[in-house]
Amino acid sequence: MNISTKWLFSALLGATVNLATAHAGELRVGIECTSFPFNYRDANGNYAGYDVDVANEIGQRLGDKVEFVCQKWDGMIPALLANKFDLVVASMGITEERQKKIDFSRPYRISVGRFVAPTGAKLALFKPDGTLDPEAFKSIKVGLQRSTTYDDWLKAKMPNASVMRYDTVEALFLDIKAGRVDTIMTNPMKAHDAFLSKPDGAGFGFVGPEISDDKLFGAGAGVGLRKGNEALLAKIDKAIAGMTDDGSLDRFSKKYFPFPIYPRDWKPATTN
Amino acid sequence: MLEELWRWSGPFLQGSLVILLVFLVSLVLTVIWGLIGASAKLSNNRVARGAANAYTVIFRGTPEFLVLLLLYFGSAITLTALAKLLWPETRFVDLSPFWAGSIAISLIVGAAATETFRGAFLGVDQGQVEAGRALGLRRFQVFMLIRLPQMWRLALPSFGNHLNSLVKDTALISVIGLQEIMFTADMAASTNSMPFAMYFTVALIYLAFTTVVTAVIRRLERRANHFMLAAR
Repeated sequence: MNISTKWLFSALLGATVNLATAHAGELRVGIECTSFPFNYRDANGNYAGYDVDVANEIGQRLGDKVEFVCQKWDGMIPALLANKFDLVVASMGITEERQKKIDFSRPYRISVGRFVAPTGAKLALFKPDGTLDPEAFKSIKVGLQRSTTYDDWLKAKMPNASVMRYDTVEALFLDIKAGRVDTIMTNPMKAHDAFLSKPDGAGFGFVGPEISDDKLFGAGAGVGLRKGNEALLAKIDKAIAGMTDDGSLDRFSKKYFPFPIYPRDWKPATTN
Repeated sequence: MLEELWRWSGPFLQGSLVILLVFLVSLVLTVIWGLIGASAKLSNNRVARGAANAYTVIFRGTPEFLVLLLLYFGSAITLTALAKLLWPETRFVDLSPFWAGSIAISLIVGAAATETFRGAFLGVDQGQVEAGRALGLRRFQVFMLIRLPQMWRLALPSFGNHLNSLVKDTALISVIGLQEIMFTADMAASTNSMPFAMYFTVALIYLAFTTVVTAVIRRLERRANHFMLAAR
């Protein structure tokens, strides 16, 4: 049976009330499936990307079979809470806001943001001291992906900025290309891969430095799981620590980027 | 670009079959909800009338998107809680995206169909019903043989609009994870950075779909009216 026939069958077979409970020894992992190069599907239906590699490796180290579930970003946490899957391995930033609802493992990927704009426009968004320049934001429109930490960050730093919110990052690239927004704030890894390194991204570039904000962007992206699963959380933390130390995360990074994208000097927050 | 479209033609075809299935299932459900709702609204039973009114007020007055999310996430939590009461060892009960989505959009469009059918039933001359009863037909026979065939003619024009809403609402279901053509376009655009071509393909598929539905409705209308034309 080819992969696409399998898709149809899964749609049909899934077309019953699913009384089968999640089996022990199986981890259902929620991913977006539309977030190249972190988690995506190719035309043959294969799952791929950095998150997918990490999730598969976690499954291997825990001795569990990994099954991926595609879920749109807006519904990711509700779906986890409604038990549609057991883990979120979708480059989800660890934030205080999200930690109120779900637990996170230690980070397996860094979280930073960066502005992208047409190089010809010579936008100066930052003052010399590295903070955002309120003057610059008076006359421009900023594009953002809805419900992301970038959205929260800009709201906190520049509440008066005129912001247009999008459901997918592709729509962001479409609209900056169309000139509907002057700059977009997004993940630099994503921007590099899907836009700046492509013909469509000619004439566009990064503006300003990489922005990290531990309070809002958190220490990075971690594996999300429902609260009250301490045993599973400990096992996943141990697996990620192992993958950091033995170079697995470095290997996965280099598959997709010319630079490492995992936290190299992460220390657990000290508790007393 | 054509190469990319060809590469993704398989998933787009599968996605089209998924929306066709959702459409057919929700079409059947829409007609059922609409007929039950209209009959309840026209009945003498106050409870039935109240329930049908609540149904149309709620489902015509809330965004489709919200109904979809509530049914999908809400059903999983509610069904799991219920199942745990009966079988404590149950971990999880779920309504699949296919059924959650089909039921959600059929409930929404069914609320509109309820009003259409109600109006159409009222449009059938009461004398016809009385004539049927005088011939000794039972209530059910009067419904099936006299009221239904005649209301159908009056309901068809707006029912055709409801069908088009049904087709277009199938595009919402990707939000709960069903891999229809919107989702396919999202996945394809994510890897090939050709969002415009991918979403344009989705638009063309939907246009083809609604064109066929409109043509079918036109034929059905002509058929439902043919004896009227002959009498003219």
